[in-house]
Amino acid sequence: MNLIQEIGFLLKKEILIEWRQKYAISGILLYVLSTIYVVYVSFIQVDPKVWNALFWIIILFASTNAIAKSFIQESSHRQLYYYSLANPIAIIISKILYNSLILLVLCVLCYTFFGLVAGNPVKDSFQFFTALFLGSVGFSITFTFISAISAKANNSATLMAILSFPVIIPILLTLIKLSANALRLMQDTSINKDIMILVAIDLILVALAFILFPYLWRD
Amino acid sequence: MKHWWKILSVLLVLYSLTVGMLVPLKTGIAEVSPLNTTTGEDVTLIIQGYNTNFGDAKGQIRAWLKVDKELSLLAKSFKVKSDNLMTATFSIPDKLPGGAKVKDATLILDSEVDGSSVLPSALFISQKNTASEFDVAEWSRSPIANLHEKDGMSFPYRNVLSETIRNLFYHVPLWFGMMIILVVSAVYSGRYLRTKNEEFDFKASAFTKVGILYGILGLVTGAIWAKHTWGAYWSWDVKQNMAAISVLIYVAYFVLRSSFDDPEKQARISAVYNIFAFAALIPLLFVIPRLTDSLHPGNGGNPGFGGEDLDNTMRMVFYPAIIGFTLLGVWMANLIYRSEIIENKLLNRW
Repeated sequence: MNLIQEIGFLLKKEILIEWRQKYAISGILLYVLSTIYVVYVSFIQVDPKVWNALFWIIILFASTNAIAKSFIQESSHRQLYYYSLANPIAIIISKILYNSLILLVLCVLCYTFFGLVAGNPVKDSFQFFTALFLGSVGFSITFTFISAISAKANNSATLMAILSFPVIIPILLTLIKLSANALRLMQDTSINKDIMILVAIDLILVALAFILFPYLWRD
Repeated sequence: MKHWWKILSVLLVLYSLTVGMLVPLKTGIAEVSPLNTTTGEDVTLIIQGYNTNFGDAKGQIRAWLKVDKELSLLAKSFKVKSDNLMTATFSIPDKLPGGAKVKDATLILDSEVDGSSVLPSALFISQKNTASEFDVAEWSRSPIANLHEKDGMSFPYRNVLSETIRNLFYHVPLWFGMMIILVVSAVYSGRYLRTKNEEFDFKASAFTKVGILYGILGLVTGAIWAKHTWGAYWSWDVKQNMAAISVLIYVAYFVLRSSFDDPEKQARISAVYNIFAFAALIPLLFVIPRLTDSLHPGNGGNPGFGGEDLDNTMRMVFYPAIIGFTLLGVWMANLIYRSEIIENKLLNRW
């Protein structure tokens, strides 16, 4: 069985598990909706600058919650079973792909709902969706890998936050800049450079995740 | 002599501390008043010198106001009040060159005792409405020539920096040292993963500890420098923020280490995190600060530290300080590593 086939099967398995026990995804959705509602109730009028910051903070916390479970959720016996069947690289790729997909859905839902209650200040939709796409891929790579690390430790929930927040900052800051440009809070002519930087950070992190994951999973 | 580099590191650090602190600054012009004047008037500038000896230099002092590349104005008369205080009188011609409304003039002082000192934009001259014609002869009566160089070793005087220019020998080498030490730590983590030799893991953790220490010292020296030059210990500067976050990354490394009971698992997983965190550190310290404006030299339109600021006397202290602090860090890491190995052996025996 080659790598691509393995990834396909594992991805299908992830989606199937999610579909059968809907509590995880619905829990995250409810989390996002209630956070947005709390933000709306406490602000009512949201200024575009605050909108931009709040949007990414909501996405940040929702994605840590969504991804933290990706390795912790499954019992060590079941993981042993996976590793005896599949290549560890196929496992990490399928997890990253699946989490990117979840985050993309989450981002779009968050955007629609936040836009509905707090107004939609986005001026350049294409740029904003580029930011959403690159953001969900970057968050997914970092958080998936960190959750694989923290799942090995004793108090994984705390560790997940401590380990991932400093590491995510470069991605988050570039994203906020990119979406500020899409909201026309600032005019930047070299926005393509920012996109390239984001892609480069994503590539470095994903390459390291591939190299390092085989050392990580075996207990 | 197996330990020559330890002796060298101590000597270099001591050298940078003594020479960096004791060598005096060059003479400079600290303050000038008044700040502006109009054409066709006689203006008497009160000049406050820094490290100057106006008293000894009496009679040989020369002063110019320089308005552009070619035109300058020699002072008419001087009065020395004390070693650090003097006045110079200039008679400003009727017409500014090039029909300008306002011109800023650079003040240049020169004497054999003090050498020459410069204050850019010392005086703003505004044009009064007169019908007179521009006369070159009024300006370039005495060209700036035969400037003196002060004898002996001295560091350049810069107006905002003044004495704090010495911090360059401690603040910058600490960051250089931290970066080199963290690279070594990441390399040891990689070697641990390939060989599973626990010595490499102890080394990686020891180097990271020294890296954190240097990072914190770099932040503290930077904050003190910021207080004196930018006006506040923490100015929300992008490099300050990113440096603080990078220290957090490595503190998290130790939190991760302490959360394992099994030493093999601890070594393996913290090695993985160390390499991953190092990859995230590079954009944090070298990419993000370039995207936004920073108060640091070389960012956001500020000139980089170099050229006249980092002259050869400064380099004579700056480069040895980098080598000294880095070697000292390696030595400290070695000591931590050895004490941890001993601790580990004792724990295993009992």
